[in-house]
Amino acid sequence: MTTLEIGRPTAPAPTPTQPSAGRGAGVRWGAVGRPVLRVVRSAVVVWIPVVLLSTFITFGLGALTDTNPAAQVLGETATPADIDRMNHYFGLDRPFLVQYFSWLGHALTGDFGRSYYTTLPVSDSITQALPVNVSITIVALLLGILFGGALGVGAALSGGGWFDRGVTVLCSAASTVPPFVIGIGIGIGIGLIVLFSVTLPVLPSGGYVPIDQDFGQWLRFAILPALALSVDVAVAIARQLRTSLVGELRENYVVGAEVRGLTRRRVVFGHALRNASGPAVTVLGYYVPQVIGAMVVAEAVFNLPGLGKLSLDAAAKGDIPVIQGVLVTMIGLVVLSNLLVNAALLRLTPHAKRREQ
Amino acid sequence: MSDTGGQLRQALRLRSAQISLVIITVVVFLGFAGGLLAPHDPLAQDTAHALSGPSGEHWLGTDYLGRDVLSRLMDATGRSVVGALEGVAVAFVIGVPAGLASIFFGRFFDWAAQRIVDAIMTMPYIIFAVSVTGVLGNGLTQAMLAIGIFLAPLLFRITRAAALTLTRAQYVEVAELLGASRWWIIRRHVWSKVLPTVAVTTAQLAAAVLLVVSSLTFLGIGVKPPAPTWGGMLSSDLGFLSQQPWAPILPALAIALTAGALNAIADAIRDTTGLPSAPAGGGLLSRRAKLDAEPGPGLGLGPGGSARTPAMAIPAQASAQSSGQSSGQEESSHG
Repeated sequence: MTTLEIGRPTAPAPTPTQPSAGRGAGVRWGAVGRPVLRVVRSAVVVWIPVVLLSTFITFGLGALTDTNPAAQVLGETATPADIDRMNHYFGLDRPFLVQYFSWLGHALTGDFGRSYYTTLPVSDSITQALPVNVSITIVALLLGILFGGALGVGAALSGGGWFDRGVTVLCSAASTVPPFVIGIGIGIGIGLIVLFSVTLPVLPSGGYVPIDQDFGQWLRFAILPALALSVDVAVAIARQLRTSLVGELRENYVVGAEVRGLTRRRVVFGHALRNASGPAVTVLGYYVPQVIGAMVVAEAVFNLPGLGKLSLDAAAKGDIPVIQGVLVTMIGLVVLSNLLVNAALLRLTPHAKRREQ
Repeated sequence: MSDTGGQLRQALRLRSAQISLVIITVVVFLGFAGGLLAPHDPLAQDTAHALSGPSGEHWLGTDYLGRDVLSRLMDATGRSVVGALEGVAVAFVIGVPAGLASIFFGRFFDWAAQRIVDAIMTMPYIIFAVSVTGVLGNGLTQAMLAIGIFLAPLLFRITRAAALTLTRAQYVEVAELLGASRWWIIRRHVWSKVLPTVAVTTAQLAAAVLLVVSSLTFLGIGVKPPAPTWGGMLSSDLGFLSQQPWAPILPALAIALTAGALNAIADAIRDTTGLPSAPAGGGLLSRRAKLDAEPGPGLGLGPGGSARTPAMAIPAQASAQSSGQSSGQEESSHG
């Protein structure tokens, strides 16, 4: 029975979550609202201390090292009066705690201060760099879900066939490398550059065009980094999805549905996949921050003007306001993605909601 | 047939452990003596022979400044190894004691540690490491300090999980009943049992940290330019892909071989000590995925929903019991 299905379901694999989510949307929102609120609340409880702690650490380290940013920025030719003026301009002549809390207060309103070097608002640089990270991360995650979903569902349906064995071997080979998207990202990224830019010059090896300027060009630049970042996600999702889908297909309701004459496609994509996708979404949630972090390295490989480059350049000069701004933005990105994944998980697996109550 | 397959695989795994041990020995040896053994000066430039392929003079060719690639690879080993060791050491020193303490030192500590760990584990640590080097100055030690803090949660969780099962062991209960102090129980009964698990994770962590070190040096963090690092070589090779597309393979191979060997060693320790092996491929991920994969809504924020209930109950009990007893015992030993 299953052998007939090999390969066939691989194409529509990643879509199934959408119809099931869409169909129940109107009915479930009310019931889901409260747990979602709870997720938001727990995120706030967990993450506010983290934001405070990590910014306080970076701020505090700067104070501890006793290096005077003004002297460093202005160079050897600065007179003491110059340094005093700059210290005053950036508020560096105030006590450390006052500096920290005034920075924090402004940061809450989206004002991260000004760069020591360019005196441009940090938030401007961040709004310029952020779309690079967000757009490529989203493409990478979509590709990861697409490939991972297709491989996982295909493997589960071929149940022990050559496709299943192939996927399993591929996944365990990939998983012997520690789960650091970064390492794989560099390796595969370079491989992709060699393949598509050097030996087969169809795609640019690096660079960037904003998405709102020229979508086609943006895609040409975005596709290689996104591909490199997606590999690890795809492997993780394929593995998780295969395991849980195989388990799900053994459940009584699947047998029941088949006995009632539902097509295999309907059984798998209408019923089993939704139940099986919980763990995969969980894994995805774990990988989102990893991909956001790995993007920093991908930016270097593919020469992208994103947050990582901003932070690296700032770190090389000791431009603390920019460093802090990027750090807080990154934490914000992770918090947001975590919230989204948790909300998606709630929608996908209603029984999780029950458990929490 | 599956039986022979299993035996074959086991034998193969042992062989892989042997090979890994050789690789790690070579890497550690090169880490100490690589710079001295290098056939050429790793910094000497010879622009007339830049980007030349492998030859009798330069076994692995030269880079864009005509520097000998083999010598640079050998000289770079030390920096990568030291960086990885620093990161692992920091993670170990923070993670393992905290993991033990979360079990044996009461509910509040456990709760607080879990919250901190949850949060740290999902942070993009690379950017934090970059930030720290930006503030403290560009050095591998500064960066690895930050990385170590961010990887400590892994060891924390593994230690905690391993120690958790022991709190239910009868000999621990007996020791408590006999009035053993918490320190005694941890030192005498828990530590030796937790050690294999911690060793496996530490080896895996070392592999992971090596990749992190390579990524950081790739980004130019923690190293002064002329000095070679594996990641730095990778990064500079990237600029000359059209001339030498195979060049990045060499440093990448060095990184991958070392990381792979460390992982194989971790597997071998796990197998020989009879620890429950992780399903399908093993490795850090599957174990962590298992910890996190409880389909609860707090995922990523509050992991191990089901595992936490016994964890909370038992140490509370145990500490309530032992605190009364151990205080009595400590008094008597003082007096």
